[in-house]
Amino acid sequence: MSSSTSVGDLVSQPYKYGFVTDIETDKIDKGLSEDVVRLISSKKDEPQFLLDFRLRAYKQWLGMKEPDWAALGHPAIDYQEMIYYAAPRQQEKKLSLDEVDPKLLETFDKLGIPLSEQKRLSNVAVDAVFDSVSIATTYREKLAEHGVIFCSISEAVKDHPELIERYLGTVVPSNDNFFAALNSAVFSDGSFVFIPKGVACPMELSTYFRINSGDTGQFERTLIVAEEGASVSYLEGCTAPMFDTNQLHAAVVELVTLDDASIKYSTVQNWYAGDENGVGGIYNFVTKRGHCRGDRSHISWTQVETGSAITWKYPSCVLQGAESVGEFYSVALTNNLQQADTGTKMVHVGPRTRSTIVSKGISAGRSSNSYRGLVQIGPKAMGARNYSQCDSMLIGDQAAANTYPYIRSQQPEASVEHEASTCRISADQLFYLQSRGIGFEEAVSMMVSGFCRDVFNQLPMEFAAEADKLLALKLEGSVG
Amino acid sequence: MVAAMSNSASNSAALAASSWVTNFLERLPAPAGELEAVQWRGREALSRQPLPTRRQEDWRFTDLAPLTALTPALAAAGEQGSWPAPAAGAVRLWLDAPGDPLAGQSLPAGLSLLDADEVQQALGHTLAACNCEQHWPVELNQASAPRVLALRVSAVVAPTLELVSQAAGDDVMRPVRVLLLLEEKASLELLQVQLGSGSSLTSLVIEAHLGRESTLRHGLLALGEGPACFFGHLAVEQEPRSLLESVWASHGWALSRFEPRVVQADGEATTSLKALQLADGQQLADTHSRVEFRGPEGQLDQLHKAIADDRGRSVFNGAVKVPRAAQRTNASQLSRNLLLSNQARIDTKPELEIVADDVRCAHGATVSRLQTDELFYLQSRGLSAAVAAGLLKRGFCEEVLRALPAAAAPWRPLQRLLGET
Repeated sequence: MSSSTSVGDLVSQPYKYGFVTDIETDKIDKGLSEDVVRLISSKKDEPQFLLDFRLRAYKQWLGMKEPDWAALGHPAIDYQEMIYYAAPRQQEKKLSLDEVDPKLLETFDKLGIPLSEQKRLSNVAVDAVFDSVSIATTYREKLAEHGVIFCSISEAVKDHPELIERYLGTVVPSNDNFFAALNSAVFSDGSFVFIPKGVACPMELSTYFRINSGDTGQFERTLIVAEEGASVSYLEGCTAPMFDTNQLHAAVVELVTLDDASIKYSTVQNWYAGDENGVGGIYNFVTKRGHCRGDRSHISWTQVETGSAITWKYPSCVLQGAESVGEFYSVALTNNLQQADTGTKMVHVGPRTRSTIVSKGISAGRSSNSYRGLVQIGPKAMGARNYSQCDSMLIGDQAAANTYPYIRSQQPEASVEHEASTCRISADQLFYLQSRGIGFEEAVSMMVSGFCRDVFNQLPMEFAAEADKLLALKLEGSVG
Repeated sequence: MVAAMSNSASNSAALAASSWVTNFLERLPAPAGELEAVQWRGREALSRQPLPTRRQEDWRFTDLAPLTALTPALAAAGEQGSWPAPAAGAVRLWLDAPGDPLAGQSLPAGLSLLDADEVQQALGHTLAACNCEQHWPVELNQASAPRVLALRVSAVVAPTLELVSQAAGDDVMRPVRVLLLLEEKASLELLQVQLGSGSSLTSLVIEAHLGRESTLRHGLLALGEGPACFFGHLAVEQEPRSLLESVWASHGWALSRFEPRVVQADGEATTSLKALQLADGQQLADTHSRVEFRGPEGQLDQLHKAIADDRGRSVFNGAVKVPRAAQRTNASQLSRNLLLSNQARIDTKPELEIVADDVRCAHGATVSRLQTDELFYLQSRGLSAAVAAGLLKRGFCEEVLRALPAAAAPWRPLQRLLGET
């Protein structure tokens, strides 16, 4: 049996979310200047503090250089050739979903996102972001009964400016890095979640990001605040149509947990990855950081990264509160010419803080998959503990798997452990499974999902199954 | 304003660094002798690329302040210290001897000196193969080394060759350069002892080419004290079925940086690297290793151990490169660190780059203090806390030190490293 024939067939698996919705879009002219920043702010009727925040970030951005240390080797991005604001043209305020443009609903339906009433049984509240704006948020009233605020960040700016002013930019300052500064200057929408003291959020929250326009950058900003004793589980998903050009996605996500609070943040990222020759695809340059401010607080990042031409993303935890816990579970899959440079930073500041890192990288085709992580134990982090494990699976002899774990410790009462391994889908394992009557593809996907099990176990139930399927689909045919 | 200040601060640091190099070059005698051409080259390179800065990724954790505090100048012949007699079965060469270090000595069977033509041909060849001939510490050595000990190993050499060099006293620079060509099936055990004291600078470059089925067992004992600084560079090119065992132990330098670079030219070779570095006081001990497999079925076993105490800093960066040609490579790397004080610091960074699917590569890193349960066990047997801690530290060090060539025993490495007299 020649497995290489199935390789060819299966690698060409189409990206099923690659369609473009034909919808009237309100775009501003391309290019970036102080006027554009002011225009975005005025389009959204923002208060003065936010305009000042944007302008300050823009000035900082002008003085910064695009980082080159990751050696990604992508063509230079022309920041003046990009559109910084695009919104589907529709009535400003939609009171019920019936008023949302049916074409938009159809789009999200095609993507399998339950916005419409009949799909609401799934008990997941969804915020749907289309290009630069949020078009609908479901279950708001029910959440409001519990005091939970879940809305787009532009609405939050209008309705809860005091919360935005208190928390925005406090975890990822606007001058944190080049892309965070760019995002701070031009961010258009994103989700805002606020869980008040002592409330366990009664349902999963979810945001779905969709890039539709071909020349638009998406700059969303997510802010989640869990007050003392609160807890929430949040999931984001992303897709984009297929274009020959590269689009930039530079998001910022900020999480804040106070005493005893917990946030679980899961991502299934499936942006368009470009074709097998590396033409097109999303540049996914994202800054995600959580700040465990309170004692015994808990932040957990789970990510399944399968899309994007280039991913550059390090969801991090600053563990400040005593006994706070940070977790990072990641599966990154790259195929064809994709590049993923991802990992985490666990910065232990407070005493007895703990962190766990489990990273699984799968590289196929001619892709490159890097784990880059930092575990830093500060001088006051007595009794801190970290355990990291990063495993790579290589499929084919042209894919690269790189591991760069930094460990820096200044506290003798802390312990840090790191281990890493590489493996592959070996012919004898495949043979064994096939001899038991399991088909070739099924055998491969069994092995892959076994490899990723530690991470999938951390995903919310319904998404774990999704993620499994997604990986199987992405990998089909890449084993030979 | 802040940006302008830090800019001017970094400018003045850059200025100080470039003037350190200029002053260093001015103190060197005019290029002469068998390495005249190399010296010209090195000096030209140094004047073009002054001191590395911490903005370079490779030097991020290496603060060169202890180096720039020195004003080293080439010293004439050194003085022999009160060294222990060589172990039985070891032949000692004193590299700083006045005139020819080989005068009055006969080389053991299987060892011979390369002639001038051969030196010219072979010198720098392995450095180039390891891609480090333009590396700053290498250029520093090339600019200053007055001679090279170039040896051909043509058979199994029975005695251990012991090379001793000492940089004693203030403002002394001691460059040492060694070139080894191991022919097919040849074998050599080499022990190098580098001693440094006062505000001295030691620069060591070793190049070794290992022919098919040859064996090089290399031990390096680098013991410094006070403000003395040490730069060591080991470049090895291995042909198939050759074996390299390199063991290095260092302690006491204000700044030490050791850079083993190994290339398995066609794979199928075996490399074993073991290192122990201790940093206390204000010392900075740094190891940057790189192993590259250019062919299939290579083996690597690397263990790097470090102890940081007091205000000491230990840095380890271990790169392992497994390109597509290196199928069936089996590589493992372990970095184990003991952090014994609140003000000490450990930076460790394994770096694995793999582009071959049929390989086994594992690496691990741990940072912790002495294990409380182990301490408890020993104390429950009646040992005091201090004795128990000392015993565990000895055990931690022994694993590396016992891999040193037996000829190292008279130097009492464990006692010296642990500061026992």
